Amino acid sequence: MDNVLATRAMKRWVDAAIIAVMIVLAIGMLLPFLWLFSMSFRSVADAYKMPPSFLPPSLDFSNYVEVLTSRVPFVRIYVNSILVAVVVTVGQLVTCTFAAFAFARLRFRGRDALFFILLIGLMFPAQVTILPIYLGYARLGLLNQPIGLALMYLTSSFGVFLIRQFMLSQPKALEEAALMDGAGYFKIFWRISLPQLRPALSALGIITFTQTWNYYFQARVLLGPEESMTLPIAMDVLRGYMASGNLSVVMAAMSMSILPVVLLFLIAQKFVIEGITMSGIKT
Amino acid sequence: MATISTVGTSERAAGDVRRRTSDLARAQARAGYLFVLPTSVLYLTFVIAPVIVTCILAFAYYDPMLGSRWVGFDNFIRFFTDRRSLQILWNTLRFAFFAVTFNVLVGLILALALNRAMPRWLLYFFRLSFFLPVIIAAAFVSIVWGYFFADDLGIINYYLRLMGLPSVRWLTDANQAMTSIIVMDVWKNTGFFMIIFIAALQGVPRSIIEAAVMDGTPAWRQFLRITLPYISPVVFFCIVYASIGALQVFESITILTQGGPGDATRSLSILIVEEGFGSFQIGYAASISVVMTVIILIITAVQQLLSRKWVQ
Repeated sequence: MDNVLATRAMKRWVDAAIIAVMIVLAIGMLLPFLWLFSMSFRSVADAYKMPPSFLPPSLDFSNYVEVLTSRVPFVRIYVNSILVAVVVTVGQLVTCTFAAFAFARLRFRGRDALFFILLIGLMFPAQVTILPIYLGYARLGLLNQPIGLALMYLTSSFGVFLIRQFMLSQPKALEEAALMDGAGYFKIFWRISLPQLRPALSALGIITFTQTWNYYFQARVLLGPEESMTLPIAMDVLRGYMASGNLSVVMAAMSMSILPVVLLFLIAQKFVIEGITMSGIKT
Repeated sequence: MATISTVGTSERAAGDVRRRTSDLARAQARAGYLFVLPTSVLYLTFVIAPVIVTCILAFAYYDPMLGSRWVGFDNFIRFFTDRRSLQILWNTLRFAFFAVTFNVLVGLILALALNRAMPRWLLYFFRLSFFLPVIIAAAFVSIVWGYFFADDLGIINYYLRLMGLPSVRWLTDANQAMTSIIVMDVWKNTGFFMIIFIAALQGVPRSIIEAAVMDGTPAWRQFLRITLPYISPVVFFCIVYASIGALQVFESITILTQGGPGDATRSLSILIVEEGFGSFQIGYAASISVVMTVIILIITAVQQLLSRKWVQ
């Protein structure tokens, strides 16, 4: 008995010590973000002064104004990023749920083979598809168009897989009952399956938005002129222009660029985490 | 009479039911094809067809102006005999090996550390701080790390000097640069694996662990004998997932070192972009991307085989 109590007391100490260490580590993980945010409020003259700040020294937004009025068409680029991310997110929510419904609930010849072929897509890197897409886009006039980047990603193997996984974990009694009552498949999908999918749709929506917001390789290949760029590639250009002095201004642009993703994550952390574990665990 | 007529109706009814079921099956199949149509068309256009075309291009010298021609395996021979491209292949494999190992290992250790009772807000904070780097584009955070890693104006070097230690040329020393990039990569990605491992650890049945505790099994043996076998499918998933990502490494290197110093950190993806869109060696670039894809397929297949053999 004494022994058990002693181990329990010790376990409590070990737990507390581990959590303390983890808190220090967690703050360490955040340092680059604290730094970039704080630097965006430093005056240009102090940009490179040491020591660096990890908390905003003032709340002077002049660097933000400077980004918006600089030679780089930042507002246009921001709109491009929003356009691409929204189109892709909406597109995937539609196409992936359609396909997932068929794979999870309907029986048809070739279904499993088709699903398998779709899953193989998870292994093809963008590098192996980008050359023909570039050549095709060049002919169709889709190069240097943000919408071209969006078109590539209107569906995704991952999205179909995620929604299908979730659907399989849901009971299908309601859907079968509706079928018995003579409802059409589209009506069943729309009225019964879709409302049940809300958590999975939130997860896919957030993951897709974030992923699309962050595309770099594809964007860099397909989008040349500054007016056609999305934020991740524009940041590099901005850094180039500002290289000699304006660290603070680059960091102001950066703060604005990561804002939507950070906000989304703060609000909907639960869905992101659930979505990722859903797809990761059940493979 | 009555009996016969009854049999007759029931036979007719059975036929009706059969016909109705086959009608239903046909309607269901038709609906199925309609529902998968958008995804199938898009997938065919933007994944399958491009992959096939890339495989064809890999055997060609592509020049739309002066005419293309078949070159057989020349592009591949060039890739595997050129010292520079071999160096770049080696860089990529080395990066992938260390990035995957540390991302998965650190993620697992963090998950083990966090797999204990704690207040909800604390868990929220941990998830936030470890997962935030995962969701921010490497393009953004690499610029930040570029300032951390800089030589004279660098933040890390500033603190090293403050502690009386010599500065490190994090990105400009050919022997150090790759390590620095791996450090950033682990900072950025390990939170993803941590989240997956936390979920996996919660799936380990509590009763088994408690029985082991009662028996006085030491913690490390509990981990090796119970926890690790139980979560091994997830470990394999993480290794495959991390490998696929790491072999494509592009933006962090492009932004931090542009592949330098020399070729010390140049990766296959950078080479593909340089050859394909810089010098318009489309065929050669296609062959490099085929090599990359084949490596990914082999790694996935090997890990699938191993996991089938070892997991439970």
